[in-house]
Amino acid sequence: MTTTATAVSAASKGVQRSGRGPGRSHEGASRPGFAWAAPAAFFFGLFAIVPLLLVVVLSFASWDGLSDPEFAGLDNWKKLFDDPIMIKSLWLSLLLTFLGVVVQTPLSILLGVWAAGHQRNRAVLSAIYFVPLLLSATAVSVLWRAVLDPNFGVPAHAKWLFGDGNLFGNQSTAIAVLIFVGTWQFTPLHTLIYQGAARSVPRVLYQAAEIDGAGRYRQFFHITLPQLRNSVVTSMILMVVGGLTTFDTVLILTQGGPGTDTTISAYYMYQKAFKTFDYGTASAIGVMLVLVATVISLVMVRLTGYDKMNSTMEGM
Amino acid sequence: MTRRNRLPRIAAVGGLALTMALSLSACGGNDSASGGDKIHVLVYGDATNKVEKQLVATFNKTSKVKVVLDTIPGADYQAKLQTIINSKQAPDVFFNWGGGSIKPFVDAGLLLPLDDFIAKDPGLKDNFLPSVFNSTVVDGKSYGVPMRGTQPVLMFNNSKVLKENGLAAPKTWDELLNAVKVLKSKGVTPIALGGGDKWPTLMWFEYLFDRVAGPELVQSAVKGDKDVWATDGSKDALNKLKELIDAGAFGTNFDSVKFTDGGSPTLLATGKAAFELMGSWEYSTLQDSQPDFAKTDLDYSAFPSIDGGKGAPTDIVGNTNNFYSVLKKTKHPEEVAEFLKLMYSDQFVKAQLSIGNLPTTTNTEAQLDTAANPDYVHFQYDLVKNAPSFQLSWDQAYPQTAGTALSTAVQQFFNGGIDVDGFIKAMQGLPTS
Repeated sequence: MTTTATAVSAASKGVQRSGRGPGRSHEGASRPGFAWAAPAAFFFGLFAIVPLLLVVVLSFASWDGLSDPEFAGLDNWKKLFDDPIMIKSLWLSLLLTFLGVVVQTPLSILLGVWAAGHQRNRAVLSAIYFVPLLLSATAVSVLWRAVLDPNFGVPAHAKWLFGDGNLFGNQSTAIAVLIFVGTWQFTPLHTLIYQGAARSVPRVLYQAAEIDGAGRYRQFFHITLPQLRNSVVTSMILMVVGGLTTFDTVLILTQGGPGTDTTISAYYMYQKAFKTFDYGTASAIGVMLVLVATVISLVMVRLTGYDKMNSTMEGM
Repeated sequence: MTRRNRLPRIAAVGGLALTMALSLSACGGNDSASGGDKIHVLVYGDATNKVEKQLVATFNKTSKVKVVLDTIPGADYQAKLQTIINSKQAPDVFFNWGGGSIKPFVDAGLLLPLDDFIAKDPGLKDNFLPSVFNSTVVDGKSYGVPMRGTQPVLMFNNSKVLKENGLAAPKTWDELLNAVKVLKSKGVTPIALGGGDKWPTLMWFEYLFDRVAGPELVQSAVKGDKDVWATDGSKDALNKLKELIDAGAFGTNFDSVKFTDGGSPTLLATGKAAFELMGSWEYSTLQDSQPDFAKTDLDYSAFPSIDGGKGAPTDIVGNTNNFYSVLKKTKHPEEVAEFLKLMYSDQFVKAQLSIGNLPTTTNTEAQLDTAANPDYVHFQYDLVKNAPSFQLSWDQAYPQTAGTALSTAVQQFFNGGIDVDGFIKAMQGLPTS
């Protein structure tokens, strides 16, 4: 008993010590108690941690959803690594995520910075522009499926651009549609992040740059962009996590087709669970997705120095 | 902030969280669908629901225990059903395709054998065509009562388009190939196909295999004989199908078209396509979405014969019937039995016939002339009655675990992703138990 108590107090001292970095004294201001986080922690545990642990357990079992689960050892995991569709689905997930980031980031930075202006028309346009964000992914997908119908939608009237309109019958065009719809839906969110960040860049920086004779482009590249650094990281992590867990658009737009050409991991997980009733393998895919997303997020946070939470105001 | 005023707040916040958690778990408890004074009946959501709503209203007029009709639309019916069937949200009675589709539920001990119901009211069995009724017999016990109707797959056509091009509904494979050639040269997509849904594509395999390789091939394949897929009959069927695809019969963008969102039926109705191979529900679908076309130019014929094939030209494929099965844990078995009796009532038969469905009750034949389109139901009736073989749709005959791989292979063969050998390999890889 005593040993534990000493260990705990030593540990807590250690935490305190490391918390006191140079120039970051918290003496005087007492920290908020843990109790304030308890409700949030409770619900996070109940709805995130507990299910996650259950899924990990299930990934070592075989279960059809009707009878009782049976322990299956590493069977599900072995099956996964021998499954060409699984490997392909992981690559497709990464590809879709990468393309999403590459397309959405520049677009939302430009739109966000533009929308950060103060003229009245911008406010109105921005408001209209945010509408896609308010729609559910299902509604968005159904909408675009109808718009892109090869015989009765836009492609039928723009054959010079779409040819026979077989957008969902080729891997490259099917992926392009998924990226397009994802961009259409989520760019407003990221634009919102950049708009907020761009508005908080101190005016004095621009005033100083103007005095020095810097034009619009130089101001953008030398002041705005560096000041948005933390927002870029935030937005990109959101995109990566969102991209890896994309599901509804694939379910409604392509159903993983043609063949298995857009069967991304999250959709493959759904197929395994709710189409072939192999919940064990589906859980293993789920765990794998969690691991991949965690690793990518950690790498991004480390590489960008986001974990240090340096202020962009430094040097002011 | 001092310690004294912090404590009550913590208590309040913690208490709130606890209350919420408790009330959340309580929600799950009293939401039992089989409890209370209600019977939940779950059906596939589509145009046929209007008949089911009528029947439920009729039943509720005289019954103390009320029936509530729940619907799940779309191709995910089976997936959603399996997700809820062993939970508190499970219905009392549910729509299914009989045979393979309810086997897992029977194995898991969830379904009520209907033999007691039948002992009390033999009409529950005797009023249905025996061949249909017997397809829900598992291990010697009956688990379903036929509902809706039998659903043979037919070649539907737009008679106006055929007339304009000097064509008639094709009776032979060569006539079909010729029609494809003529229509293509006129800029009409010969055959509408909802390839985006995948299952409409499967119907082409079902008929080609029946006509060319004979109905026994798939039957033995489902029983576990995987070698039959590599036989000459199987290869011939696939090559014939390939010939049709390569002739441009389905156009080039069928993978982007769906049946479920009205894409392919609209192609047929607007004359952009001349044919569609579809289950008999095509009629009620079009009656609902394109009533004028359904009345005037919608025509139909049996699938063409193929010279030198093993299957009879009168063979049909499709869903032999839909069924209602009952869950063991229902609290109102007597009322459920009463409700099921409606499935052979004159009112039921009339209502189904009015939307072009063909019930498989013994009193159907006498009422065929009361249908909205008597010719159509007579045609179906004779077709089903005279068919030496009625091949159950492969995705119903195979266990559900085969579904995804089956539909992927079917789609890939049509769009050139895999060849004959690739398809054979994919079919041999399907689980059969």
